[in-house]
Amino acid sequence: MTNEKNYARPIPLTAIVLVALAVHGPLLLMQLPARSFDANFHMFFASHYAHHWFNPWNEKWFAGFSQTTYPPLTHQWIALFSTVIGLKMGYMLVQLIAILLLPVGIFRFARIWVNDRAASYAALGSVFLGALSFLAYQAGQLATIASAALYLNALPYFYEWIAESRKLALLKGVLISLTAAAAHHVTLIFGVVFFAVPVLWTACLDARRRLVSGSLGGVLGRTVAFGIAVGVGVGIVLLPYWLALIQHPIQQMPIPHDSRANYLLNSTIAVNYFVIPYGALILALPFILIRGSSSRRLIPLLCGFWLAFIFGLGGTTPLPQWLLGRAYEVLTFERFAFWATLLALPFVGLLAVQLLDRFQTKAAVGLSLAAVGTIGAALWWLNANPYRPGGSADVEPVIVFLNRDGHDSYRYLTLGFGSELAKVSTYTSAGTVDGDYNSARLLPEMTHYGSAQLTNAKFYGSAGMASLRAMLEHANRYGLKFIFVHDPYYEPLLTFVGWRKIETFDNGEITAWSKEDVPPAHQISSDAVPPAWQGLIWGILPIGVSFLAIFLELLLPHQRRAPVEVGVPFHEQDPQEHYVA
Amino acid sequence: MKIVLPVILVVGTAGLMVLALVSGGNARGTVGIAGGSAMFTPKGTTPEVALHNLLVDVQRRHWDRAYDALSKTSKADKEDFIQDWTGSNGSLRSFSALEGFDPRPLHITDDQAEMRVALHWSTPVGPIEDVRDIHLVREGDIWRAVWPKYKIPAVPAEVIPVTYLRWDLVTGTADDQWGSKNVDAPRVRIISMNAVNTAEGAIVMGEVVNEDTIPAFVNVNSTLVDGSGNAIDDETSFDKIDHVLLPKQVTPYRIDFPNIDLNKVKNVRIDVKAALVPASADPVIGVMDQKLDTDAQGKAVLQGELLNESGQTVNISHVIASFYDNSGKVVWVSDGYVDRALLPQSSEPFAVEIPKNVSDKVHNFHVVVNQYSLARS
Repeated sequence: MTNEKNYARPIPLTAIVLVALAVHGPLLLMQLPARSFDANFHMFFASHYAHHWFNPWNEKWFAGFSQTTYPPLTHQWIALFSTVIGLKMGYMLVQLIAILLLPVGIFRFARIWVNDRAASYAALGSVFLGALSFLAYQAGQLATIASAALYLNALPYFYEWIAESRKLALLKGVLISLTAAAAHHVTLIFGVVFFAVPVLWTACLDARRRLVSGSLGGVLGRTVAFGIAVGVGVGIVLLPYWLALIQHPIQQMPIPHDSRANYLLNSTIAVNYFVIPYGALILALPFILIRGSSSRRLIPLLCGFWLAFIFGLGGTTPLPQWLLGRAYEVLTFERFAFWATLLALPFVGLLAVQLLDRFQTKAAVGLSLAAVGTIGAALWWLNANPYRPGGSADVEPVIVFLNRDGHDSYRYLTLGFGSELAKVSTYTSAGTVDGDYNSARLLPEMTHYGSAQLTNAKFYGSAGMASLRAMLEHANRYGLKFIFVHDPYYEPLLTFVGWRKIETFDNGEITAWSKEDVPPAHQISSDAVPPAWQGLIWGILPIGVSFLAIFLELLLPHQRRAPVEVGVPFHEQDPQEHYVA
Repeated sequence: MKIVLPVILVVGTAGLMVLALVSGGNARGTVGIAGGSAMFTPKGTTPEVALHNLLVDVQRRHWDRAYDALSKTSKADKEDFIQDWTGSNGSLRSFSALEGFDPRPLHITDDQAEMRVALHWSTPVGPIEDVRDIHLVREGDIWRAVWPKYKIPAVPAEVIPVTYLRWDLVTGTADDQWGSKNVDAPRVRIISMNAVNTAEGAIVMGEVVNEDTIPAFVNVNSTLVDGSGNAIDDETSFDKIDHVLLPKQVTPYRIDFPNIDLNKVKNVRIDVKAALVPASADPVIGVMDQKLDTDAQGKAVLQGELLNESGQTVNISHVIASFYDNSGKVVWVSDGYVDRALLPQSSEPFAVEIPKNVSDKVHNFHVVVNQYSLARS
């Protein structure tokens, strides 16, 4: 078979999933994400579900907080797997499943616009996305990846339902959307704008041009029906979350985040949030613009991409702030860059088709190098970036200390532990006043200052240190007796406010400090404790919809729709003539 | 559409970027981590821009660029310049990060400018503001700062005899206790207490003495009670006290109750907790040349010099001063940290602020110095 014929066929989806397994499987087996920013946070939540499936009130952080403030699906899956393979491998397995679902979703999503061949290249490209590696291995945003992958798998059903009125597509689309929301609600909310609106717009165009069986009115009517079904479903499945949000809207002081900076004014931030996530996709930006504008069917996708792209630039443009208002200060923007890269992939598939048709092996080599270079750069950046997660110390002695001699009758604080705080919390029976999930904080010592975790206080400058000082001032109130320091920066403050060093661990890497006159911790009363019925539905519905979605996918296989494709121009002189759609 | 849409998107994106730049974009990186550089920096064609560029480079610890931007007439070499900003000998400055700055011109001519800049430092003990006057000169069409030589204190080699008192504690308590629970607590007593209302809230202050012959860890807690006997708020003296008192030593204390109006308070409960702890009189820090004065910004201050009389470096000194009226009542307690290390046998200036309305009443004052030494931590 000639090269030309080889490249003319789509890559089988199974092969792409195997490539994803081959690339990411070993990285996950090596537990590379374990040191990412959020991995320990996810494992901490999962650990709580493993021990208290139906009780979302967790006393270990913030002197008590409700886990209904974060969608539970990924954590509950980790909790389930942890009973067999342990927490850490449970996390890796769920992350692997999300990563394997992504190319499947991209393939199916891309087929709304492009043919199988281009869609297969798009799916293959998703395996090597810099943004994916950034989120999986540096940020540890398991829920964002899982939700995006699920959402991408739901959208083709959405298209089939609104364009062709397939009832099974409605059922599957709604269920997978609910599963995506149960994994990460933010993805679903913003996904409506970035992903679903382009799909709807495209379906309207197809209906007007009679490329699909549905009429324009039918498309809009079925969209409303789908929207209502998903809206009501998400309302019910995540009901405790919405109730918690209504009871305690996020009104804390905005916490600075580098993804909200102007990337033009800080090259390190630009590399971290733009160059690494996009990688070689930056070279494809002109093609995306030109190709996206050249066909009416691609314009919705281009607009969705452009909006996500602009949002992914954080504070480099004022648009996100204008459109999001107060929410701008709550969100972080690396996830928008991830979504932008996902929306760019169908165009990348088209670009790959054009390049392979024209240059065959040379193009294959070039594209491969670009893909490998992109993921390689993201993996290299894990150790090269100045924001890399810290916490290289062995926290085991801290856990042992807290679990012995009744030390867990007091609360503790870690300073300079970074994301290892969640690891300590997972394995100790003691509680801390700190925590690694900003939206669940209710203690005024934390919400009144523009700072995140106390363990990272110094990185938030004066606001962070003011928050830490406020907490230390109220040490007696919270029974905060023990402080573990992994950064000598904090030692002067502790000395001046009356703490003294009592032990050193890990060859002096960590020191334990205590204060006299601190009474044992007592339960801090809170109106945020969810009632038992909320714990019950929290433990049943999110995981339940995911089981239902799996069973439906497995038991009721779906007839794959032939794509309404955008042709690939092969003559530069007048590409428009060769478009099918 | 084929041409129009890409043009709209590209021009729109570029326009939005320009808008963000013009409206003062946020270049902030995480505090304490060296940030990257801006893709472009405006030329220092005015003293304000030149000083801004210099301070941004200092903030991001781009020492090469910052030093290159100085005038050739500067007396400081590069090492001096860096040390001026980063501190040395484990001083408070060496733990600090320049978080922000507010420059304002004092005097500008065609080729000379005097700028005053308020430097906002983030430090382990809280925010500290430092005011500095910077001289700039015009060299060609560029303004450059003239940096004075930073004097690094030179300590001659000498032998310092150690004659201080020291109390060790032989204890059978668990290793998580650094004080002793199984012996009687030292006798400590509050010798004065005064509550005042300020714009920021109520303040309870006074002095505590250790009347015992053993050292004591002390902490003062206070609860404000309303007319119906309910507690309004409870706070502690936190860092506005010297927590370890040697026998017969007196320390001021101050407890802040933010946003509490004293008029709504019926009763103030004070509770001093004490425990026996090991302690040492070393390092001895002398307070010299204390006087009430007015600083360059016109604020009333108590200033003087701290003299390290011992043979070890004191990395961070904390000055706590109580001010008395002519009847001997404590009318104010103020504190401040010294951002330069106290080397053995050397001195550093200090200043603590007094509110304008209090400074007129001050008849006398008493200063204690708390300290943090890396060698002893």
